[in-house]
Amino acid sequence: MEEIAYSVHPIIVTLVGALLGAGYFAFLRWQTQVGSVNISLLIGAISGALGATLLTAPLGYCMFQADQKSEDILVGWIAVALGLLLTLNIFSNLLWRYFRGQRLLPRGDTTPGAFRGRFGLLYALAVLSPTILVLIYFVYLPMFDTLRFSTFLARFGAPRTRFICVSNFSRMLSDVDYHSNLFLSFALSFGIILIAMSLALLIASMLNQPIRGANLYRTLLIWPYAISPIVAGSIFGLLLGTESGIVNRVLDLLFGTKVPWLVSIPAAQISVVLASVWNVIGFNILFYTAGLQTIPKDLLESASIDGASAWQRFARITFPLLSPFTFFLIVTNTIYAFFDTFGLIFVLTRGGPTESTFTAMYRVYVTGILASDIGKSTAQSLILFLIVVGITIVQFRVGQRRVQYGNY
Amino acid sequence: MIGRFALKLLILVIALGALVPALAQDVIELEAWVAFSDHRYDWAVDTAERFNALQDDIHVDMVSVVDYDTIVNNYTLGREDGNYPEIVQLFDAALQFAVDSNWFSFAEEIIGGREEVLGHPVNFDDIIPVISNYYTVDGVWASVAWNTSTPIMYYNVDMLEQAGISELPQTWADVLDACAALQSLVDDGTISACASWPFSGWFIEQWLAQQNEYMVNNENGRAGRATEFNLDTDAYRAIAQFYRDLYSNGYFIFEGQDQWGPPTQNFISGKVAILMSSSAAARAVSEGAAETGFSLDTTGMVYNQDAPSGWVGNILGGATMWISNGLTPEAEDAAMAFLLFFSNTENSASWHTASGYVPVRNSSIELLQNLEPGNELLWDIPSGARVDIEADDWYAAFPNFLTASTQLGNSTVNNATRGSTYGTFQQSRPYYNGLVEDYMLNGGDLDAMIEDTNATLTELLQEYNFLFADE
Repeated sequence: MEEIAYSVHPIIVTLVGALLGAGYFAFLRWQTQVGSVNISLLIGAISGALGATLLTAPLGYCMFQADQKSEDILVGWIAVALGLLLTLNIFSNLLWRYFRGQRLLPRGDTTPGAFRGRFGLLYALAVLSPTILVLIYFVYLPMFDTLRFSTFLARFGAPRTRFICVSNFSRMLSDVDYHSNLFLSFALSFGIILIAMSLALLIASMLNQPIRGANLYRTLLIWPYAISPIVAGSIFGLLLGTESGIVNRVLDLLFGTKVPWLVSIPAAQISVVLASVWNVIGFNILFYTAGLQTIPKDLLESASIDGASAWQRFARITFPLLSPFTFFLIVTNTIYAFFDTFGLIFVLTRGGPTESTFTAMYRVYVTGILASDIGKSTAQSLILFLIVVGITIVQFRVGQRRVQYGNY
Repeated sequence: MIGRFALKLLILVIALGALVPALAQDVIELEAWVAFSDHRYDWAVDTAERFNALQDDIHVDMVSVVDYDTIVNNYTLGREDGNYPEIVQLFDAALQFAVDSNWFSFAEEIIGGREEVLGHPVNFDDIIPVISNYYTVDGVWASVAWNTSTPIMYYNVDMLEQAGISELPQTWADVLDACAALQSLVDDGTISACASWPFSGWFIEQWLAQQNEYMVNNENGRAGRATEFNLDTDAYRAIAQFYRDLYSNGYFIFEGQDQWGPPTQNFISGKVAILMSSSAAARAVSEGAAETGFSLDTTGMVYNQDAPSGWVGNILGGATMWISNGLTPEAEDAAMAFLLFFSNTENSASWHTASGYVPVRNSSIELLQNLEPGNELLWDIPSGARVDIEADDWYAAFPNFLTASTQLGNSTVNNATRGSTYGTFQQSRPYYNGLVEDYMLNGGDLDAMIEDTNATLTELLQEYNFLFADE
């Protein structure tokens, strides 16, 4: 068998993983002062080695081979880090549960109606199986394909594919255009989430007042969410055209001026944000309206008897009590802003002018669907996936401290 | 009792219903996807129904898909899961991909030297040579020509006259001069700007051809498989500069990349005096101009007066009809028969009046020049039916419909004007069009931009070739 030359040998990669794992577990042992030191070190080393090989071994450690570029090696180490994040978290969690004498798996819900008895689990699985099968076929298997394709040069209709290791990823490291796409995704998403949520809260608070026809307003305000982003884009396209758009027609009549909404910077970016806000705001209003109705009236009343101003009641009572809703909406709005706005952008600006509205997800669509270049686009979509998972984890970590769930 | 009787009846109906497809198995069902959704789709549906009425055993069903790009994407994805039509309309940019994918049976191979298919004459020599040339792959006629267009200029003659312009612009310099003259109308608020047209990569391809320049190497991919991009040319730089001159002087209303609706609307509503668009818009623009109440005139696509080659010719645009492979011989013949009917002399002439697409047959042009009462060739948009053209000579009555044919007829056929063919055509368009957009809006170091984009596009092309080209 031919000897493969490595710039970083797989054994070294595995050892680095094992060392980091053992170190992390030693730190945890020192921090918690629970359990055996030796077992901690052993399990830590094993899970570290596992983490280091999790994403690299299936690719044959190709990114560490001698003929790879330095960017590929960097991607290799990132893969090691991701693998470690995953395994170290899982194993440390399990091990310390064991040390503390807890069940390894969290105990299930034991409220009446839960599946119990000898065939309980079996029965539960049988009931769940249609859903699980659908998820496996339509979500998990395609996801596995996505992982696989991201290491290939591949196009629809091509008679062959070519394994290119992590080139699709390392190319993105040095692609300045892609970096600006990513930055733009963050910037536009931030704008969309900020405006869509604060405006929704304002409108929902107004809707919560006892006004005539509140139900009608509620229905009308939720409506835009029922419209797909593509259609929302078409509507705003008719509104915002430079010469033939309705908005500019009005501006021209009133002020004698026209704004090139879709073909200048930053007007095009603002247009995309506003159109997306309009599209998603109904969803936010729906949840905030529901949330406002759960806030006990007596709490607000007693506060107002105690002399709290309207603003103080909102800031000290209403807003904190709405935090579970706010938290949920931040997560869903992030997902909307990152993943669902590409259809709207396609219709409204095609990513222009000069790529100023070319978000990372729009790049995935253009590369994968318009150009059939599926290797690159699956790699791009995985990056986006990791980013959104990362954001969500951060939100959960921050959220758990700030969000107040509870029985009032 | 009645309940039981109803149940029996229901079972009987279901049983009979199950029998119907079995009995009707002899009918060959064909699905055809076309990238139209306006009156041009209505025409296609009507013509398919005319074909269906000719026999009982073939039935063609027209399906509307939103645009050219989407039709390629949908077909490509459809091939992955087995859900695709027997006949599909593919545009010029998909030519190489259609050949490389091996998803289609070539028309000439289906015909196999026959003079007619199921009673529909082939008469291939009747197709206008520039059209058959474009869609001939390695000497074989691959797909059936149907909608063929070329860019032309549309002028609001009233505005030009008001600005003291008596001759229609023919060159880029003429356009810039006319725009300078029209500035007085902009200043007094009569119009918003001089010109507006769709910012499409198609025009860049056309302007390269006019200047006898190739988009990709190996003579536009016509002498051999293209392997490198060829953007680093004076011809491409000149195009970018022309747009820059137009835009920076405030002559041009830019409505975004590949937006076709707004610029056309700007012209029809009288906000600009000059529109460049496909000849396929001739019908819509003529009717719009008549409605707004201005006189319309057309010329061929303006050209670079400084190009060393002068005007060489234009590429034809549009799309052709492809037949999916793997059909039974009977279904293949049925599809072929339909496409021969779809593009026969009368239908090709009627299609021309419905849209402005060039008639693909010489006999159609002759027919339109020697009309007789009861011809039933004109597509009436409101009623969705064919009515008589009330004239002896269509082109004498509607000269704007002749401009496209004249332009293609005057074109020298060489590998520049046959247009480029390479696998990443669709993928590359936004790049070379985007570069010109960037330079038009922001200026900058054109040479550096070209070097960068050329390298990117060459790399994509070579990746494509690696996956598709014969080893």
